[in-house]
Amino acid sequence: MVPLPIANVLHHKLRSALGALGVAIGVCMLVTLSGLARGSLNEVADRWEAVNADLIVYPARWLDNITTIDGGGLSQADAAEVGRITVGGNPSPAIERVVPVFLSRASIGGQEHNVVGVEPADLPSLLGRGQILPGGRCFDADGAFAKWLKAELEAPGDGVLDISPEELARRGGLEMVIDTRLAAKAKLEVGSGVYAAGHDFTVVGIVPAGALARAFIPRATAWYLFDGRPERYTMLFAKLREDVPPGAVLNRIRATKRLNAVTTGEYRSMLESRFGIMYVYVDAVNAVTLVVAFLFILVTLYTMVIQRTREIAILRSMGAARLYILREVLAESLILTFLGAAAGVGLSLAAAAIIQAALPLLTVTITWEWIATAAVVALVGGTAAAMYPGWCAIRVDVVEALNFE
Amino acid sequence: MGENEYILRAAGLHKSFGSGPGRVEVLRGLDLNVRRGEFLAVMGPSGCGKSTLLHVLGLMTPPNAGSVVIDGEEATDREIGEGPDDLIVVPESRKARIRREKIGFVFQRFNLLSVLSGHDNIALSLRIRGLRADGRIDELLAAMGVAEVAGRKPAKLSMGEQQRLAVARAVAHSPQLLLADEPTGSLDSENKAALLELIRRANRQYAQTIVMITHSASAADAADRIVYMKDGKIIDGEH
Repeated sequence: MVPLPIANVLHHKLRSALGALGVAIGVCMLVTLSGLARGSLNEVADRWEAVNADLIVYPARWLDNITTIDGGGLSQADAAEVGRITVGGNPSPAIERVVPVFLSRASIGGQEHNVVGVEPADLPSLLGRGQILPGGRCFDADGAFAKWLKAELEAPGDGVLDISPEELARRGGLEMVIDTRLAAKAKLEVGSGVYAAGHDFTVVGIVPAGALARAFIPRATAWYLFDGRPERYTMLFAKLREDVPPGAVLNRIRATKRLNAVTTGEYRSMLESRFGIMYVYVDAVNAVTLVVAFLFILVTLYTMVIQRTREIAILRSMGAARLYILREVLAESLILTFLGAAAGVGLSLAAAAIIQAALPLLTVTITWEWIATAAVVALVGGTAAAMYPGWCAIRVDVVEALNFE
Repeated sequence: MGENEYILRAAGLHKSFGSGPGRVEVLRGLDLNVRRGEFLAVMGPSGCGKSTLLHVLGLMTPPNAGSVVIDGEEATDREIGEGPDDLIVVPESRKARIRREKIGFVFQRFNLLSVLSGHDNIALSLRIRGLRADGRIDELLAAMGVAEVAGRKPAKLSMGEQQRLAVARAVAHSPQLLLADEPTGSLDSENKAALLELIRRANRQYAQTIVMITHSASAADAADRIVYMKDGKIIDGEH
């Protein structure tokens, strides 16, 4: 025979669908919003961890959080000092390679992004496992622009260097490499013009998503546009020799007092520390949504109990114990919850695909952990939501219900 | 014959509804004994308390006073003295067990579950009683003449078919006591006669004890014994 709770769900299709939809929306919100909040932060952290370096060196004044760092706080002398660090009595430098970068922020395609100024030769170490896609190239490939601009910046004068945009563009200074997500979001391709920092850049290359930043420009251009001084850096990415323990180098760097450093892995915790408050907001929204969803289930089941007092009375007249009635109500709630949770996970996957297609810069990471969390929350919520209707059901007056017209 | 002669013993039943000046006393010290295998019809005018009596005997509503003993088992709360602790309370779970194991109900309005097929209505009744369906349902459906329509939901059945299914459901677990509240009240004369024949057959072939409330003298004629109620008491036929 068809179990009574299933028969009821199938018989009252619209009501069941609405009840399950309430749960589905709650679960979808939980999984999608959590996936969006955590996914976006993790995507940034993943990009920083993908840099081919072990340490990030930065000016000590930025203390212990560099998630919003920019400007030219470091000099060539700082980079040279870091490159000379030795540890453990070994006379060889502990650091195999130092990649100085200049970070600034600029609005591209309607959204503010970190724009990384870097030497062309150093760009590959910031791209993770990717490389410039076919059809594109790196900016200032022969370094001619960097040499020319450095000379201009260092030339004696009144301290104010005014280069026309046309001259900058002609010498290759307004070239930009972007990642595939920014390209998709701003509908850019190799050869497209892109306005940033008051200048018209040209996209010359596109790299796969996963690189340190969404946009890269010649480091010399960054000096000129954002600092005005040559050989200034925001931070240094340091690649250690294989046999060198990071801790010893970190200590040496911090001992300078002017410099500080963290491992690339620590950047993730910095991000979570600065932006983790977002999780609280997201979790609060999720909590409210889930409460509403389960109130929906409660009302649905309560309506069911009210509508089916006669059915409950018939069961009681056949000798069904109160526990049996409670179990029937609970079973129906759990069926609706299960259907809703399954639909909610399906909706989440669809929502993630739609969000990432419509807003390529966002990352929605749907994990089994959050699906399991949503399932447990749904189970607990569905059970709790069934309690009051169940309590009403077991208190049905059999005679009154049977006589009710 | 001793105590075991009776499947049902009701003594001094009082039942009232409401309180204060609006209080309505429906049963007023009613006594009724029903022998095993007996087919008893209870007749009386509207409002005399017949249905209330059936609900009390079926343990669906408790009497204010008096006792109901079913198959030798005390089924109602009983005062054994004057003190506040001198009350033996029969827990709801025990009443539910007695209903489950020993009683079957047939209602005037059938009271089949609308979301289940006729077959599944009977299967559910057996499941609640912890019994396996096996082939018993098909036998019963055939015996009741509704095997062909048992896959349909009640809304797709005629009243006669619904009531036959209701009887099949009520006797499926072979209860010791079948309580029927105006079982023919919603049926035309043809279906009424057929249903009474089914009930009568259950009584004759399986020694099924039946207490049937009815307005209909012709329905009551099918019974072994008829008792008459008036003003909450049995006024004739109880012996």
